[in-house]
Amino acid sequence: MRAKSILTAALLCSALALGSDQFAMSDADRALYAELLENNPAEMDVEWGGELVEKYCGGDAGLAKFMGVTEAKLPEYVSGFPRYIKKFDAVLGLDQVMQALMAQNGHKPYKLSSKEMFAMLAYAKSLANDEPIRIDVNANPQMEAAYALGEEVFMTKRGGRGLSCNSCHSADIVGTVLRTQPLPDLGENNAGGTWPAYRMTKSSLRTLQRRFQGCMQNALLAVIPIGSKEMVGLEVYVTKLAKDKKKTISIPGLKR
Amino acid sequence: MADRKSLIKIKPKKYKTGEVVKVSFMIMHPMETGMRKDKKTGQIVPADYISDVQFLFDGKPFTTLKVWESVSTNPVFTVGFKVPGNGALTVTYKTNTGESGESTKKVKPKG
Amino acid sequence: MQRRAFLQTVGLAAVAGAVITPSMALAAEQPKGANAMGLDAALKAITGGKMPTPSDKVHLKAPEIAENGAVVPVTVEVDSPMTPEDYIKAIHVFATKNSNVRTLDAMLTPANGVAFFSTRIKLGSTQDVMVVAETSKGEFLSAKQSIKVTIGGCG
Repeated sequence: MRAKSILTAALLCSALALGSDQFAMSDADRALYAELLENNPAEMDVEWGGELVEKYCGGDAGLAKFMGVTEAKLPEYVSGFPRYIKKFDAVLGLDQVMQALMAQNGHKPYKLSSKEMFAMLAYAKSLANDEPIRIDVNANPQMEAAYALGEEVFMTKRGGRGLSCNSCHSADIVGTVLRTQPLPDLGENNAGGTWPAYRMTKSSLRTLQRRFQGCMQNALLAVIPIGSKEMVGLEVYVTKLAKDKKKTISIPGLKR
Repeated sequence: MADRKSLIKIKPKKYKTGEVVKVSFMIMHPMETGMRKDKKTGQIVPADYISDVQFLFDGKPFTTLKVWESVSTNPVFTVGFKVPGNGALTVTYKTNTGESGESTKKVKPKG
Repeated sequence: MQRRAFLQTVGLAAVAGAVITPSMALAAEQPKGANAMGLDAALKAITGGKMPTPSDKVHLKAPEIAENGAVVPVTVEVDSPMTPEDYIKAIHVFATKNSNVRTLDAMLTPANGVAFFSTRIKLGSTQDVMVVAETSKGEFLSAKQSIKVTIGGCG
């Protein structure tokens, strides 16, 4: 990809050293980018997702009924995902629940990593916009186990450089500028409440687990499959970080 | 006529006749520059971008855009609009490949 | 942990974020598209040879540092009564170092109420973005701003 070869050329030129010249955006720049949130191309994905949920899941009503809540309670219920779903005896994301509903309705479910499912997840989660993140990691033994697994995945050093998620996202490292970007505090930056999001560098809607995979690739960690127990656990852990900072849900997000 | 996802937004959502609002048109389109190589095939992906956009009110054009390939993928275009009254706001587009499309939104001032 | 020690630990001590300068972009074989056009030619096509006058009536809003070159927000607002006798009839946005400097030409009318235009553009390298506003009286006003394009972040 052209971008990579430019970066390689930059390194060979050693025209850039770390230290003083790490280019970080000013507050004015960040405010400008925040304005972009207003007209987020992912709003079109959310609309499309709504059409798909209507077609394959029976819309909001069908979704609510499948999950055993009233439509009025749907936003509150959605704000608590990932959840332990008794029917399937597993801690699941909203996308996995919609797969099951599609199957029940006689449709072949979209793959979790498909554009369609990303859009459906964005729509369904946006039903909880402005709700506080309500994930309850103590709701039952299964949620406790999922949280514990997620924390383990977050903390485990692995891969060629012996890195864990925590290597770059622990409280004492956050804020350090790495490759022009300050390393984010995943709770404070509300990763749990702002994904699915439009990624500007990918010009498309992406989900949190998909972003985890990209991050793992960059850190030379073996990529974990979307929807696996480990990935769902990781999402539970990261979502709890945002809950601890009292964040609310705001979909679609906008990210670099 | 293509079935591309697009959205017309008016800000603020509540407005009066005579008020100047912001109208945004966004559309899902790859905006291929014709200078990018497909990673898998090694071939240049042909140019495919929105080249013209027009904003009309009740059929009368009030803004015309000439758009080039370096506008971002999934573009958003925002212009000002002095609300004349009730009517239909239409946005049409054309691409360099001969595709065209149109969408409409009702303008309903309150007061 | 000190920053340098941290970066050495993660094995990224030798890696820095890159600022894309035009020479680097050229080094990475930037092909020219069918619409390739430089700034002088593009300006001439619009003004017929007249040099635009830098004016503080033209307000250009764009980031000083763009964290990615694919989606760079650009907003232009020009002070104007936007009456049939005196309005801005066009706003042209140029990416002065893209192989085709033209990004967008917005033809406005008094019905716009305000001479405003906003979009997002792709910038191939650090460069000036220049906007030229054409008034109904035949004047050409301009403004420009430098935008540093960076590639950064992890993935």
